[in-house]
Formats: sequence, C-alpha cells, structure tokens
Amino acid sequence: MGQMRSQAVRLAGVTKRFPGVLANDDVDLEVGAGTVHALLGENGAGKTTLMNVLYGLYEPNDGAVYVDGEQRRFDSPREAIDAGVGMIHQHFMLVDPMTVAENVTLGYEPQGRFGVDRARAREEVVALADRYGFDIDPGARIEDISVGVQQRVEILKALYRGADVLVLDEPTAVLTPQEVEELFDVFEELTAQGKTILFITHKLGEAMGAAEEITVLRDGRNVGTVPAGDTSREELAELMVGREVLLEIERDPVETGDVVLGVDSLRVRDGRGTERVSDASFAVREGEILGIAGVDGNGQSELIEAITGLRAPESGSVAIDGADVTRASRRAHTDRGMAYVPEDRQERGLVMDLDLVRNAVLGSQHDPAFAANGRIDWAAARAHAAAVIDAYDVRPPDPGARAASLSGGNQQKFVVGRELERDPRVVIASHPTRGVDVGSTEFIHERLLALRREGRAVVLVSSKLDEVRGLSDRLAVMYEGEFVDVIDPGETTEEQLGLLMAGERPDETAERATVSADGGEDTGTETERTGTDDIDGE
Amino acid sequence: MNRASLQRALAIGFGGALAVFVLLGLVFPGTLAGDFLDILTRESTLSSALRLSVPIAFAALGGIFAEKAGVINIGLEGLLIISAFVGVFATSLLGAGGETLGVSNVWVGFAFAVLASTLLSLLFAVVCIEFRADQIIAGLAIWLIALGLAPFVARVYYGSVNSGSVSSLGTWEIPLLSAIPYVGAVFRSDPSVYFLLVAVPLSWWVLNRTAFGRHVDASGENPRALDTAGVSVRKVRYQGVLLSGVLSGIGGASLSLGLGQFIGTGQTMVNGKGFIAIVAYLFGNYNPIGAFGASLLFAGLEAIQLRLQQVPGYTIPDSLIQTLPFVTVIVVLALVGRTRIPQAAGEYYESGED
Repeated sequence: MGQMRSQAVRLAGVTKRFPGVLANDDVDLEVGAGTVHALLGENGAGKTTLMNVLYGLYEPNDGAVYVDGEQRRFDSPREAIDAGVGMIHQHFMLVDPMTVAENVTLGYEPQGRFGVDRARAREEVVALADRYGFDIDPGARIEDISVGVQQRVEILKALYRGADVLVLDEPTAVLTPQEVEELFDVFEELTAQGKTILFITHKLGEAMGAAEEITVLRDGRNVGTVPAGDTSREELAELMVGREVLLEIERDPVETGDVVLGVDSLRVRDGRGTERVSDASFAVREGEILGIAGVDGNGQSELIEAITGLRAPESGSVAIDGADVTRASRRAHTDRGMAYVPEDRQERGLVMDLDLVRNAVLGSQHDPAFAANGRIDWAAARAHAAAVIDAYDVRPPDPGARAASLSGGNQQKFVVGRELERDPRVVIASHPTRGVDVGSTEFIHERLLALRREGRAVVLVSSKLDEVRGLSDRLAVMYEGEFVDVIDPGETTEEQLGLLMAGERPDETAERATVSADGGEDTGTETERTGTDDIDGE
Repeated sequence: MNRASLQRALAIGFGGALAVFVLLGLVFPGTLAGDFLDILTRESTLSSALRLSVPIAFAALGGIFAEKAGVINIGLEGLLIISAFVGVFATSLLGAGGETLGVSNVWVGFAFAVLASTLLSLLFAVVCIEFRADQIIAGLAIWLIALGLAPFVARVYYGSVNSGSVSSLGTWEIPLLSAIPYVGAVFRSDPSVYFLLVAVPLSWWVLNRTAFGRHVDASGENPRALDTAGVSVRKVRYQGVLLSGVLSGIGGASLSLGLGQFIGTGQTMVNGKGFIAIVAYLFGNYNPIGAFGASLLFAGLEAIQLRLQQVPGYTIPDSLIQTLPFVTVIVVLALVGRTRIPQAAGEYYESGED
C-alpha cells in the first residue's frame, strides 16, 4: 500500500432526495483501497441511503460514483456487483430453508450438464471459505446456523460474486460481543488480502476500534473524515450530533416517596414450563430508578412480562400504588399508570403496517384525550404523534409514515417517546436505548431522570452496564432467575458487577475483587468491552 | 397431551382401523369389508384412480410453481374450468373428428385449452404483480370468471350448459407392459396419464436441480435476497404463475377431452378438483412427488367412492359415501401436521423499496 494508496471508492457530490426529505446532501467520500473505513452517524443521518446509492439500489439526483478511479452508473445491484462492489445488508438477504452453498451461489449458479453443478458449487464455496479462514459447513441450512455465521455467509456471497469492496450496513447490530470481535478479525483478514471494507455504524467505540478512517455523516452531509488514531470519542460524538454530548450520566439526588410498584415473591415459568423467575421481591418508590442488570436470558424478560401483565405468574403478587394487579389485564395496568417500553419494539411496541399516528395511540385508544363516544379523535392523535416525533427526534419527521419504513433506531425512539409521554406513575423500560444513537440516547436518559425528579418510579432493564449503573439508584443483579444482590451502583466497580452477573455470591465477590484483579476471565472481557463502549453500544 | 403424541395416536388409530377393516374383508368376503377390499384390488379401480388424479395432480404441480415463487394461486379451479371448456369448444369449432394442418382437431383443441388457461393465468399474474391486487381475492375472481364464463358460452353455442360430444383423446396402450396383471392398467391409459408421469419427475428436477428452481424458491422465501443477487423477482413470479396456467391447462383439457364432453352443471365437471389440488400440494409439502402421491390418494378415494355406490345391497346414502375423500383430507392434514409455507408467499414485492 504505502503512501500512494489508490482509491477503491469515491463518491463526489452525491445528493439524494425523497419526497419531502433530503437524505444525502452533496456528499463526498473517499475510501482507500485495502483499508477499513467507517461511516458514522446517528439514526437517520442518511448512511444507509448513501450506501444504497453506491450499490445501485437508489439512483442519485446528483453526483457521481467512482470505483477504482472509473466513473460508474449503477442502475441495479447486479451492475454494482459486476463492478466489484458487494453489500451486506442489515437484514440479511439469505433464503432460510436453503443451504449455505445454495445461498452463496444464488443467481450465479455454476451450470453442469444436468442443471446446477452442485458438487462444483460446494467445492468453490469451501475453497473460498478456506481462503479467508471461515469455518463454515456448506451443506448447513441457514435456519440452523447462528446469526454470526449467517453474516459470514453474506460476506462469502459478496466475495463469491467477485467483490473487492465490501459495504456492511450496521454489521454489529445483531451480533454478540464475542461475534463482534470475530467480525473485526475477519475485517483484518480481508484487508490483508487486498479487499476494501466500508462499514456503517452509530457506535463510536466500534468505529474507533475497527476502522482506519472514519467519515461522519450528519443530516445527510459529510461533516468530516478523520483518521481513527487521531480522534477522540468526544470529538466524534460532537461531529455526529452537532453539539457537545454528555457521555457521562449526571444524576442528582432525589427524595424518594411512597412505594409505587410492589412485587412480592414472584415466581414465573416460561412457555415451556421452565421456572425462569424464582421468588423475586422488590419495591420501587416515587423518585427512584431500580436497575436490573444481568446477562440476557437470566429471567429478566419473564420478570418484566409478569410485572406488566403479559404473562401470568405461578405465584406471588404485583401491586401498583397498593392495588393488586397480579392477574389483571394489560389495560388495567395502563389505567393505573404503568408505561412499558418493550424489549422487542417490532414484536410488541409497534404495529409495523400502521402509520405513526395510529401507533401513537396504541394503548391509549380509550384515553379521553384521544377518544370520545367510542370514536378516536384523529386530529388529537396526529398532534400527539407529531409531538413525540419532534421531542424524540424521530426521522423522517412524518406522522403519516408507516412504522415499518423507519430504521430500527427511529422506531425505538418513537416507542420510548410514546410510553414516557403517557404521564405514567411507573415506567417499565426494557433496553430503552437499544439501537439508538448517542444524541438520542442522551435525550432518553435525560427524560428518564426527569421522570424520576417528578416523583415517578422507574424499572430499567438494560444490558449496557454504563447505562444501568449511571441511571439507577439501586441495582438488582439477576442470575438464573434470582436476584443475586441489590447494590448501590455508586459503590460497586464494574468488575464486581461483572462477577455478580456471572452468578458469584456477594461475599465471594468482595473477596475475589480484592484478591485478584483478573478474576473471572469471561466476565473480565465482558466488562472491559462495555467499558469502552458505554452509552453508544448495544 | 402434546402435538407429536397426539399425531402418533391418531396415526396408530387410523392405521389400525384400516388394517382391521382389510383383515375383516379377507376373512369375510361378501360383507361390506369384503366388497371394499374387492374394489381396492380391482384393476379398473387403479386405472380410474390414475385418470381421476390427472387434473388434480397437474393443477397441484402448477400451484407449486406459483406459490413457491411467492404468488398463491387459489384460482387453479378456474384455470381447470376454462381449459376443460375451451378444449371441447375449440374442437367443436374446428369440427370434431377432423384435422387441422395434419393434426387431429382434438389435439388442436387441447393446445387451445392450454393457451386459454395460460392467458387467464397471465391476467391473474398482471393484477397481482403489477397492480398489487390481493392474491386470494384475485384468485377467487379467476375461479368465478371461469365458473360463469364457461357454462355461459356453452349455453350460447350448444344451447345447454353441457357441450355436445367430440371425439376423446383415446387410450394409448404400450404392448407387453400392459399385459402385466394389475399394474398393467398403468400402460393402458389416457395419454394424459403418460404426460403426468413425465411432468411429475420433470417438475421435481426443475425445482430442485436447476438455477430456475432455486430462483423460484428464493422468490417465495426472501425475494430481496434474489433481487440483490441481480435476478428479477418480477420475471420469476411471472414465470411461476404462467407455469401454473400451462400445467392446469393440461389438466383441465385432459379432463374434458378424455371424456369428449364438457359438463357445465353445478360446479362444472371440475367440481372442486382445483381446490383439492391445493390441499394435495400442501399435503405433499410443495414437493411434486408428494403432491402427486396426495393427488393419487384423493383420486383413489374418489374412485372407490364411485365404485361403492354401484355395489348393490347396501343402504348407505350416496351423499355419505361422497364425503369419504373429504373426511380423509381432514384426517390426513391432522396427521401430516403443519406444512411450511414459503415465507413471502402472498406478499407483494416491490424492487428497490427499503
């Protein structure tokens, strides 16, 4: 490579308009051959649109695309593929019941005398996988392999089609921390063999960790390209958001009041009959945030489902302001002032085919503010949707947009906004900032703290350690369905928290933490990662 | 009780009852069970089962191509009706028994039938693929159009909803093979039976071994995957739906021209075969061979049912016996459990939409 590095991709003055929205505004972008380049920006900054222009899915209104120094015009993905540009979409383009080899060769099937030459397809896929050090069974069905492996199949697919430039849209969004590490190793292997990588992200830590150069996009404009080794998280956050961002959470002390949510000896089984929550008891008071930390899958989801009335518990009770709601309907919970930000926004937070106006009144369709005599006041609903969109910076700012047309982060912002603006007594927030960019994460944190100041009660479940530590007054650590300990987050180090999350009892933890600094190996890496990736990580 | 054990219990119960019935028939010939067994083992039952399976199986093969490509074609019944009618109608127009350009008019009529069915499926494809029509409603429309149009034209031309008679396709007999006892019936069949015996493995090969088959699969499962691979989803879906038209056309033409007449009373001579075809391919889990097996099962029950009605000495109402195939359909579906429907089947796909 050296000094005279050629450019694999160059975008010059790319502008892309949609009805009512300017998605890309005169964007220049240069990516050196054989490098990893990150395209950083908030949800809705126009990153994906720009990449779709490069890939031939969208035609730009203005500007030019150069690949290997030659100006290109792609009218379809096929033409981009033929020019050596491969794209790995956020939602994988794989056919579930087909095998790895069939997916990799889709549209490029090697022909034999009697239809597709399946033996050759297999051999070619294996050879390609070996060359880049992927351990993949070509005969495995997509539906049977993990998300991380599926992503590698997507990469193989692009390579099989002769891609020299790989464009990845939010490649880490669906991965576990371990898989993220592996993906970045794959990046290194690919660039070592001369491939160029351009990946989209809104996570500062990942951009700085994996890329050589970072281009920041804000409101559809390129606001700067910086070498990764020559910048800071603060600078990047400011470029992204356009103002200074508080990466640290500031929490003032607040007087707590009466108990709002009381949970007593709750036992919950999942759909298969396995006990997932064993004897959980706690109370949350006015002006208090109770955090629940734990490795995903230790009963947090079932606990929240039982509290919110989505799943009937085996035994125990749940009360709001002293009134028992253990087996009451969802509506009874809402009527008593419970707001709920669900873990899976698409499954439980939104009706994807409805517009934002309709989604804005989900759960409050019987609220007198929106309904009279059994009819919904659509003007009020629309005004409410517009208010949420405005306050929570949902993009595009169009109440008439279908929920499905928004990116994941914007869907999340909308759901959080709808729930927090219900004037709740108690907020149950599951992963409220999942997939949300730094600027909006900061805003959601502020709103949660404001609710606390106003004397509401909040239960916060999050896998981001900095988030639960920073926001919570008390922090309950869940392990295999039990509260291992309830701690004061200010008095506990991240390492101690990591050990608790791995199921160590409090007394052991205190001992371990003092005796050995590199105690539990698995939790050590976990806390380290979340440490570098605080509020922008998932 | 969970699903699996319930299914097993059902299978054992059903299979056991069948075994007892057959055993009874062996021990006591002359009883209902004995007559049933007699019918089952008759050569004519096999040949009529094969003949009856032809329209069902062809429509099922067509349905597989369309639905795997992502377009649920519930209008198979209509395609069968239109081709059954046009086959006889075109033959009548040309002059039954004559020749056109050296080809027997029956076969020219056959070709027109396939063409008519294909054109009707093209209409269906256009409204579904270009105009985002709901596939189920458009499919029902196809059925209702054919159900109204065919008897109407018959009434205008023939003066009755039933057509006049034309010469039938006849029988092709393969020497030597047809002399084999019982299975020899297969080699003394309507030409359409041979077509079917070629079409079933051919369809399987196309779906499982060719690039086109892969594209059909991907188009119904994840059309964006196919689109981003540079293959036109629109084109693949058109091909799938048009194939359902061609195949159903062969089935419908075989039905009427095998008999030499179109019968337009009630639900017409097609009488639900297009809908049974949908059950057949679901039962066969979108595998042409499985769908053929299911078609044969339903047609076999139909054949037995027809024979049972002719056995003297029983006072079982005909209408009760006629329910036999449908009862079996329900039992079979309960046993098979859930079929995996292509994920994107029934959904409109627009290229480039995010």
